Amino acid sequence: MTTAPDATTVERPDSATVVQPELPWITLVWDDPVNLMSYVAFVFADYFHYSKPKASRLMMQVHNDGKAVVSSGSREEMERDVQAMHSYGLWATLQKSDA
Amino acid sequence: MTVFRARRKGQIAVELPPYAAGLLASLVRQLVELLSDGEAQATGSSDPLEAMLEFSAPRDSPQDPALLRLLPDARPDDPEASAEFRRFTERALREAKVADALAVLDKLGDPHDEAGPADLEFELTSVQARAWMRCITDLRLTLAERLGITADDAELWDALAPDDDRMPIYEIYGWLSYLLESLIDAVQR
Repeated sequence: MTTAPDATTVERPDSATVVQPELPWITLVWDDPVNLMSYVAFVFADYFHYSKPKASRLMMQVHNDGKAVVSSGSREEMERDVQAMHSYGLWATLQKSDA
Repeated sequence: MTVFRARRKGQIAVELPPYAAGLLASLVRQLVELLSDGEAQATGSSDPLEAMLEFSAPRDSPQDPALLRLLPDARPDDPEASAEFRRFTERALREAKVADALAVLDKLGDPHDEAGPADLEFELTSVQARAWMRCITDLRLTLAERLGITADDAELWDALAPDDDRMPIYEIYGWLSYLLESLIDAVQR
């Protein structure tokens, strides 16, 4: 089970102290008519280890604006995050942050 | 009726009536079938080079809209990159979803057992609880796709006639929503 979220998935460099060799990439989560608001907020807190207020704020952004940037970093990191979001049933995509 | 209750150390106590356990198991088995459907070269290759180069790994998006919702395109802005992503990740994602489904079935028992009148009672670890959440979500996504639920049709579904053909599935969809809310609630306690 390669996409099961666990504590090891958050070992990523602090973007404030590491110079990214490439353009940062972002993971977007899109609104869908099925996923429960409580579930979306839970996933953001559980997988990304975001605080409950931050997870709720991102969930509301998805709900109100149709999408939200939930993480940013290298392409490989974003691919991992997108795959994890898909394993949770959230509709996620990745792209370059300037795209 | 509360299905899930918080216990010590993140454990979740579950209590399911036999008919509910049977229904859930049947839905999850159908999900496993769906996830095993249309996979390129499902037999697996014995050629180590071919396996290493992943010639048989999928590149095309699934045709079935429900399966496409479970395994969405990661780069809609770039079809070529999307296909590459799928080639390298889709099999693992399918396997992860099947593993979640098996974690649910594992607790629901043998479908051929005589369903007694007693409720099914068991506990979930916090890891198992998350597998259950993901699997219930996959079931909800699949049923919603089959029903054709969209963003702005809540009133239509609330006003569904009792004899509408879609009513039984819509009721199951609602029950799964209740199950998921109950499980999230228990995990967060």
